[in-house]
Amino acid sequence: MKIIIVGGGLVGATLAEKLSGEGHDITLIEGDAVMARELTDQLDAHVIEGNGATADMLRRAGVESAGLLLGTTNSDDANMVVGVLGTQLFNVPQVVVRLRDPSYSEGFSLLHREHPSEYVCVNPDAAAVDRIFSLLEVPGALDVASFMDNDLVVAGFRIAESSDFAGLQVVHVQLLFAGTPTLVVAIRRADNRWVIPSGQDEIIPGDLVYFAIARTDLDNVLSLLGEEREQRQHIMVAGAGRVGLELAKRLEDVDARVVLVEENPDRARKAAEVLKHSLVICGNVTDQTVLEEEEIERVSTFVAASSDNENNLVAGLLAKRLGASRAFALLDNPALVHLIGDVGIDAVISPRLLAIGLILQHIGGRNVHSYAALLEDEVEIMEVDAVSGSKLTSGELANIGLPRGVIVAAMRRGEKLLVPRGGDRVEPGDRVLIISSTESAAKVSEYVGS
Amino acid sequence: MNLRLEIRVLAGLLVLLGLFQLAPVATALYFDEPFWPFLSVGLGGVLFGLPLMWYSKPEDRRIRARDGFLVVSLAWILASLYGALPYLTTGALGPVDAFFESVAGFSTTGSTVITAIEAQTHSLLLWRSLTQWLGGMGIIVFTIAILPLLGIGGMQLFKAEMPGPVADKVSPRVAATARRLWLIYVGFTGAEWLALRLAGMSGFDALCHSFTTAASGGFSTRDGSIGAFDSPLIEWIIIFFMLMAGINFVLHFRLLTGRFRAVWEDSELRYFLAVIAVASAVFFFVVPQVQGMEGSIGVREALFNTLTILTTTGYTTSNFEAWPSLAQMIILHLMILGGMSGSTSGGVKSLRALLGFRALRVSFARLIHPHVVRPVKYGGKPVDDKVIGAIWSFFTAYVFIGTFCAAVVAFAGYDLVTSISASLSALSNIGPGLGDIGPTDHFAHFPSYVKFTLCFGMIAGRLEIFTLLVLFQPEFWRR
Repeated sequence: MKIIIVGGGLVGATLAEKLSGEGHDITLIEGDAVMARELTDQLDAHVIEGNGATADMLRRAGVESAGLLLGTTNSDDANMVVGVLGTQLFNVPQVVVRLRDPSYSEGFSLLHREHPSEYVCVNPDAAAVDRIFSLLEVPGALDVASFMDNDLVVAGFRIAESSDFAGLQVVHVQLLFAGTPTLVVAIRRADNRWVIPSGQDEIIPGDLVYFAIARTDLDNVLSLLGEEREQRQHIMVAGAGRVGLELAKRLEDVDARVVLVEENPDRARKAAEVLKHSLVICGNVTDQTVLEEEEIERVSTFVAASSDNENNLVAGLLAKRLGASRAFALLDNPALVHLIGDVGIDAVISPRLLAIGLILQHIGGRNVHSYAALLEDEVEIMEVDAVSGSKLTSGELANIGLPRGVIVAAMRRGEKLLVPRGGDRVEPGDRVLIISSTESAAKVSEYVGS
Repeated sequence: MNLRLEIRVLAGLLVLLGLFQLAPVATALYFDEPFWPFLSVGLGGVLFGLPLMWYSKPEDRRIRARDGFLVVSLAWILASLYGALPYLTTGALGPVDAFFESVAGFSTTGSTVITAIEAQTHSLLLWRSLTQWLGGMGIIVFTIAILPLLGIGGMQLFKAEMPGPVADKVSPRVAATARRLWLIYVGFTGAEWLALRLAGMSGFDALCHSFTTAASGGFSTRDGSIGAFDSPLIEWIIIFFMLMAGINFVLHFRLLTGRFRAVWEDSELRYFLAVIAVASAVFFFVVPQVQGMEGSIGVREALFNTLTILTTTGYTTSNFEAWPSLAQMIILHLMILGGMSGSTSGGVKSLRALLGFRALRVSFARLIHPHVVRPVKYGGKPVDDKVIGAIWSFFTAYVFIGTFCAAVVAFAGYDLVTSISASLSALSNIGPGLGDIGPTDHFAHFPSYVKFTLCFGMIAGRLEIFTLLVLFQPEFWRR
């Protein structure tokens, strides 16, 4: 398929790389000359320098024959123009744009309701809020994504010495939760090596273990891990920007105790006006006295959600040192993201990576319902609909030759959630959860496509 | 200051009040009583007012905040002075008493110096009730249309309440607002007249009482007030219409336009109803021990007395001076609280009490969390700090004027309960008080200077204190 990507920032470039790896024909339009040149060197894609939010430029990129148009510049306005041009003028079959302002996307969907093009708005901030929210739901998890209409959670935990899982083999976990799709899906060893485990692999303290957990097993798994769900969470959110404020609002809805810290007095005031019973504090989160005044040591989770990456990192570390049980940080800088595990922040949320995941899940022909890339983008999880004629439905699972590092972890047939075994077949119409290493991900699309 | 415009407005008021003398004149003709006292006063008002209106045609029609304070204060004083004339021309009262009775009328207070009400002519009693009805009319416009523009006592909250052009174009806005609200006011009066008539009251009594209920005034045509009719049905009707008069007329307007949700979710209304529920419950449980009022009589008495005091009407059915001291203490509290903002009732008003309470909670939060940002909210929206500040200054001014008036009464040798309740009753425009001015007493025994002080309290209270007090600031008169 021919794909045009407008905007070669982190999101655009990453998508270009991934999609060209899957064999698509990529044209990337980037406005900045220096960046465009760098991208030409890095990517296996056709890079054009210019303003992609113009009809002329899109035509030059060959928009008439494109199957997919992506608007991923840093500006909502430009992305919106790309979206309008793509759907209204060029009738591109599928258009995906990134819009941060939710009121924009609302108006935009209205505009496109009557239109043949498939049109998707992706909001990285909303995705970040969703992710933080899932993380808070599963205490102790460093990474959480939910699948199968929320019936299945994939969550990563660091295994403590005291955990009941330490020393168990992967197959033991399967026996413990026989009959439900709760199992170990990936292990990251202490030496940073990723393993898509087979039955005999042992869980060692210090491992980062990813479980797929049936919602009904969640409390059991948590207690085996030595974690406990609190009745009423006490959460401190730093930064009342789009992510922070939205998170506070949603936390109010589930009756959590929220302290929102914002340095800018105007923003703090606005937040206090919108929020119902959260405590809004005007102060600097990297100021120890402010954190101590609000009893940081009693906070169960500290979420650094300002737009300033470095500040989030520092605030998270300070909060941990002053006694917060867990600290999450919003971090969009890939260099920093890889640093995280080592410095003591419990989970990192990258709105851009989330946006990439969302965009990938929406790209046509994949029948993908949900998609998530685990912590460092080494493992991908996708929830897909099996279609007739695809390789996936061609025989018993053990015999269809799934590539190494790819497992079918769960299967939904009708209302029932099943655990597929080697002798089972996937029927057309089933919904399947597939876990694969990133290298094998490209091959997975061969299996699910018809 | 736009002096010519002010003179024109006041002269217009004079002509209007002069024309309203036709009502007692007609009553006098109907009951075969002397009509000259009213006709002469009416003619005087019209003949004096008309030329003044004619010669004071203003070139400039703009009214500034200062003009607003002055013209509103002068309007109430002028109306009270003019309204005293019929008491003089009929020979019913002396000059000081006539003025007091007239102020108690136009301020919708309802305190009376007339010792034998039933001995007065029908025409005079009608005029007496009419002063309250006209005062109530003025107050609705004043509180809802003018007060927000002047920014007194936090009432700028209502600036955006009524539809219409922006604040600086006063006249079309005030006129449109006033028409709508008066229609509701007249509607309540008519409905109550009909209800009372059906409940067996004479047409004349029904008219006088509907005038004074809608205005939350409280003048009655009987010495024993509503209690004299000895009819549970009449009491229930009065209870209902007192409640209506105590509710913000903006809410009535919303009800008429079908915005029920907005009315139901109004936190001031909820607070107002909660106060009524709590106070009547206490009365219901505390009073019967002494009085022997059980069952439905107790419920009715509890509700009636809560509403008559809280809405600052001041009708009486029972002598609450015989009630236990807890009940009397609650009566004092209700006197201070008053009804809803934008109603005809006086006092501190539910809105101020509610916002003051919320502001207090915010102050506590600030002590516990030094860096907290927490606005006081009303209806889900943040309330400006200026509004809160204005409310606090209103409380302060209320306390100052209240203690001053009480001190003057005490100086005249009255006991503590009489002094305090007389002051609160005047300032909140209620009518009766406790002690020597209880439900069965009158105000005639006060010396002249006490009467004048209470007149000052009544007008100050009616005009939300600041409207009148600001005139005493030297800065107000500086050019």
